[in-house]
Amino acid sequence: MTDTTAGRDRLDTFPKLLRHNAKAFASQVALREKDYGIWHPMTWAEFDQKVRTRALALRDLGIGRGDVVAIIGDNRPDWVISEIAVHAVGALSLGLYRDSLESEVAYLLTHSGTALVFAEDEEQVDKILNLGEAAANLKAIVYTDPRGMRKYDDPRLMKAEELDAAGARTARQRPSLYDEMIDSVSGEDVAVLCTTSGTTTHPKLVMLPAGRIIDHARKYLQFDPKGPDDQYVSVLPMPWIVEQVHVFGKALLCRMPVSFPEEPETLMADLREIGPTFLLMAPRVWEGIAADIRARMMDASWFKRRMFALALSINEKAAARNRRSWLADFLAFRALRDRLGFSRLRSAGTGGAALGPDTFRFFHALGVPLRQVYGQTELMGTYMLHRENDVDFDTVGVVIDPAIEVRIEAPDRQGVGEIVTRHPNRFAGYFKNEKSTAETMRDGWVHTGDAGYFDDKQHLVVIDRMADLAVMASGDRYSPQFLENKLKFSSYVAEAVTLGKGREYISALICIRYSIVSKWAERKQIPFTTYSDLSANPAVYRLIRDEVERINATLQPNQRIAKFVLLYKELDADDGELTRTRKVRRSVIEEKYGQIISAIYAGEPAIDIDTVITFQDGTNQRIRTRLKVETVETGMTGASGEQAA
Amino acid sequence: MTSPLLELSNVSLQFGGVTALSEVDLGVEEGELYSIIGPNGAGKTSLLNCISGRYFPTFGTISFDGRDITRLRTDKRAAIGIGRTFQNLALFGHMSVIDNILVGRHHLVRNNFLTGSLYWIGGAQKEELEQRREIEEIIDFLEIQHIRHATAGTLPYGLRKRVELARAVALKPKLLLLDEPMAGMNLEEKMDMARYIVDLNDEWGITIIMIEHDMAVVTDISSRITVLDFGKKIAEGVPEEVMAHPDVQRAYLGDDELEEA
Repeated sequence: MTDTTAGRDRLDTFPKLLRHNAKAFASQVALREKDYGIWHPMTWAEFDQKVRTRALALRDLGIGRGDVVAIIGDNRPDWVISEIAVHAVGALSLGLYRDSLESEVAYLLTHSGTALVFAEDEEQVDKILNLGEAAANLKAIVYTDPRGMRKYDDPRLMKAEELDAAGARTARQRPSLYDEMIDSVSGEDVAVLCTTSGTTTHPKLVMLPAGRIIDHARKYLQFDPKGPDDQYVSVLPMPWIVEQVHVFGKALLCRMPVSFPEEPETLMADLREIGPTFLLMAPRVWEGIAADIRARMMDASWFKRRMFALALSINEKAAARNRRSWLADFLAFRALRDRLGFSRLRSAGTGGAALGPDTFRFFHALGVPLRQVYGQTELMGTYMLHRENDVDFDTVGVVIDPAIEVRIEAPDRQGVGEIVTRHPNRFAGYFKNEKSTAETMRDGWVHTGDAGYFDDKQHLVVIDRMADLAVMASGDRYSPQFLENKLKFSSYVAEAVTLGKGREYISALICIRYSIVSKWAERKQIPFTTYSDLSANPAVYRLIRDEVERINATLQPNQRIAKFVLLYKELDADDGELTRTRKVRRSVIEEKYGQIISAIYAGEPAIDIDTVITFQDGTNQRIRTRLKVETVETGMTGASGEQAA
Repeated sequence: MTSPLLELSNVSLQFGGVTALSEVDLGVEEGELYSIIGPNGAGKTSLLNCISGRYFPTFGTISFDGRDITRLRTDKRAAIGIGRTFQNLALFGHMSVIDNILVGRHHLVRNNFLTGSLYWIGGAQKEELEQRREIEEIIDFLEIQHIRHATAGTLPYGLRKRVELARAVALKPKLLLLDEPMAGMNLEEKMDMARYIVDLNDEWGITIIMIEHDMAVVTDISSRITVLDFGKKIAEGVPEEVMAHPDVQRAYLGDDELEEA
């Protein structure tokens, strides 16, 4: 850190930090965006200038202290500029996920009383215009991409360029206004509203003061140092607390340049061009990359396949002695890392959900130092992390700051109980929801609702949501998520939902991972047409059955999966089956596939399906198929007895 | 009233004894999205080929932008602003997407084989950068950033169609001829393609003549439609009129079925 203690106290908001960086490190690169195929860097001075004009324009529009401004779109510098400008006028920023449904946007905008929205393009503007009267507080909708906007004549619509031009005029007339504005905002004022994932109900809005985000980021940096020499690529959804802490808190403090991919589809090519030293991605993305490598390896030449297999086996032996093999690196992994854009990667993280130990091991074998992070939106996202030299695939590591206290409340015989945390930089409450605030935070301890325990090394192990621990008819407890993750760790399985609450035995609804299973089917010369067709194939059933049996072998008999069904479609957030962070919505699944579930437990050997799938473009496809219920030997009396019948 | 951007008068095309087109009159105004429909073998592609210059009509005249182009060479037509895509893809399969699109700008490039060899001195570098920028705007518009370095031949069909459209747009045409831009596409791809075509017409101001079999798309996005049957124009007008026209129904459904109905 270059700043003095006295100066540091004043740098308690993002606009103040940005102004400091713009003065001290004017010409260093702060942000980088790929546009029209070329990377465009933005220095701290340019960054600050853009925020200044935009903030003044917001002020001219009457946006001020306590107002809520929503932002929706892809991760782009423009988002970062807008968000800091919002804080500069003392308003609250509310990030929305780019693929949010209209109803979700409607709820959040009306609940928060949003006064202005930054919407990237026509797709997002559409969602907001359709709100109509519901958005009574909404004064303006600012868009950056004019494509397809000509058909609208809503008076609230405004181009970002026009907004900035107005701000620039004000800046010329009153040059000191911006500084006065940001100096009057304190770090204890709520600056960021972050949505909780809302697995069960409407998302809550978590109020976070900027000063606490910055203080948390500072401690995070002490545990896991980063600096101007690092290269960070912004991949996680921007509204998510983890990305907020990194792009705003950490990047402003340590001045690591943040690069933004051109489009989500170009991510892998963009990664290779930037060569990040630090990367955070959702478990699904890591799993997707691992699956992609495996799929490509299946397609590769005989020589490459052998080299890859050889490198993996050499490295496994080396890993057993806690070392990495230079030979394996030389044979395959160095080239592979280069292909992926991971050559310079010094630190990588994943969080939000569990990542399979196999995937973890795979990336570690490749030489990608992947670590698990854990935390809550209410507690600044990540506060548990592996130490660099102490990575354990089954745990989420240790606290990043000794001031953060974590304990297990009311542990049972195995030490499992609710994880509760006291955090010096905890949230300031839920927005317009004091009841939930009081329920979650008691005597300064935040009740996370997660079940977990500490292992021998004092690493925290997270099992599941407390509320999701299920009790079977026999009174035995089991964790659906734990089982589902075990299933999903198979590269052939994309999603899995287990059922067993109040039941005699456990069964599973499984979605195959199309990219891998289709490759597999091609190699086995199994003909198929669509996802539905492939998932109904007897050979695929046998394949998944083997996987289930392999997993069952690692479990106690009463925890084993007795029956499963391969679903005819993938679970989708647009159908409400997953949350935006791609967690399974159990209640929706149980309602939607109720017919299938009751047939499974009625002991029927197959279920006739006649249903309609709605695609993203609004078109429907009718699906008629016969789902087989596969029964697996568990060694438990109940289910196997039925099998005989 | 000003004269139309493209005007065909009395155009006939014969291959030996076969009459592909007979006495077709057509006028397409600037800014229109004009569709040509008709049963198989009605002469739609022949008509498009006459406009793009692959065939010269046996009789009749074609004028574009107030100029007679009946006998103008294909490459000259490209230079005055007529671009096209093909029913069967005509991409350079071994070249990258960017190179394929760059071909579309060939006639706009000043540097040649000799000056290009003096890359940094002759202004070739500067020109390449300018051209690349123009192309990137098209890539951005058609949302094919993720495949810009991919080899065209390896792409799935829907994307290759999009690349071909990009190449035609790179020509900076005033008039764009699209021969079945949505053939063989699934519904989602069709919706995307329809959106690109409407946006090209609406926002980029390109006049479009399109042959398409998907009636839902044609009636949805066209400003006017011409119906060909056995080389003759049997109807012309706004979509609702044309669809209601008895001759059109007869051409599509046949006489018997119409009588039964």
